[in-house]
Amino acid sequence: MVCALGIEGSANKIGVGIISNGKVLANVRRTYITPPGEGFLPKETAKHHRGAILGLVQASLKEAQLKPADLDVICYTKGPGMAPPLLVGAIVARTLSLLWQKPLLGVNHCIGHIEMGRLITGAQNPIVLYVSGGNTQVIAYSNKRYRIFGETIDIAVGNCLDRFARIIKLSNDPSPGYNIEQLAKQGKQYIKLPYVVKGMDVSFSGILSHIEELADPGKRRNKRKKQQDEPEPEYSQADLCYSLQETIFAMLVEITERAMAHCESNEVLIVGGVGCNERLQQMMGIMCEERNGKVFAIDERYCIDNGLMIAHAGAEMFKAGAQMPLEDAFVTQRYRTDEVLVNWRTD
Amino acid sequence: MMPLQANVSKPNESTIRVPFDTPEHAKIAYRVLSVDQEPRRNFVQKTLSLEDDVLVVHFSADQVKNLRTAITSFFECLLLCQDTIKLFGKEPEA
Repeated sequence: MVCALGIEGSANKIGVGIISNGKVLANVRRTYITPPGEGFLPKETAKHHRGAILGLVQASLKEAQLKPADLDVICYTKGPGMAPPLLVGAIVARTLSLLWQKPLLGVNHCIGHIEMGRLITGAQNPIVLYVSGGNTQVIAYSNKRYRIFGETIDIAVGNCLDRFARIIKLSNDPSPGYNIEQLAKQGKQYIKLPYVVKGMDVSFSGILSHIEELADPGKRRNKRKKQQDEPEPEYSQADLCYSLQETIFAMLVEITERAMAHCESNEVLIVGGVGCNERLQQMMGIMCEERNGKVFAIDERYCIDNGLMIAHAGAEMFKAGAQMPLEDAFVTQRYRTDEVLVNWRTD
Repeated sequence: MMPLQANVSKPNESTIRVPFDTPEHAKIAYRVLSVDQEPRRNFVQKTLSLEDDVLVVHFSADQVKNLRTAITSFFECLLLCQDTIKLFGKEPEA
């Protein structure tokens, strides 16, 4: 019986979760939302988190109806992510660990997503598509590691969506990706965009520059002389959102399918903030159906960054005997998924 | 829990003394705040030490600008740690 409290704060979400033997006791979260057209910056995000985190710890204990003494381990996100917001979670986790005299564990953010997805869906050994604002990876488990089969070679898929939302001044509330998804439902015509899959890897930055020019021809960076007499075609925002989603999700489905074929797996698990996009889930579902496979997806409570996933992954590590001296409880902006030895899985 | 003195004697040095309610709390803050290293590129040396219930932090830097940013970010962490202790550090509630 392991009862774990997890603190997550690697990007613009700050969350605290408590889990006891795989049972969800509390999962509270606050999001730092910036005005339309603006992204979130490390310093301001950290300030937001500092104002919210202690209240969230209190709220989670209240929701779980637990006393600090009932906990077995305190977990926090060690990385990857933005350093200043990560540090907020780490400082509070360290202090609580010493105050309450509980062991402390630093958790890899990506591993948190994967383990949470497996717990909620019950998927045993799926190919994992991890798509969020900071990461885009196709992952499969093999020999005690989560191995990265394909990933983005520049920006993350969520970053591409977020920045496009900023270009067309969509609201960041509740999230830019959600608003793109809603607007895309009104899209009628498909605009051809670059399709960039390189082996098992994908690239989004070129697509973003391309669609930026389509959305705002006035700001065209490299004006081509020829086109001046031609009238510029006008595209609606809905058409652009629709076409962007279709293109980049098709790329993700392609590399996921190849990973499935390679690993002879017929399960796909989608995790990360972009994973709650229903169009992506639908497209992945169509691909899986054709292969007689199955897609596992989770809703925004567990998909989008949350403290619970850190608590759960930390609890698994704790059960497997992981320990972390306080001196090692730092944060790191770069921390790859395959650096972690997955000694809690026996397959 | 306010800093007693921020003494800038030599061009780019500063010592901050932070008193705590108890030596135990001072020790917790000392251990929590000792973990993070200064970024390599800002050329600031930070040394923490304990004198009973007082946390002593000494900074030295080659540029005042760097010293100032190091102290600012240290205070951000210190305040968060202090707030956590204040809120959760009382004797176990009934």
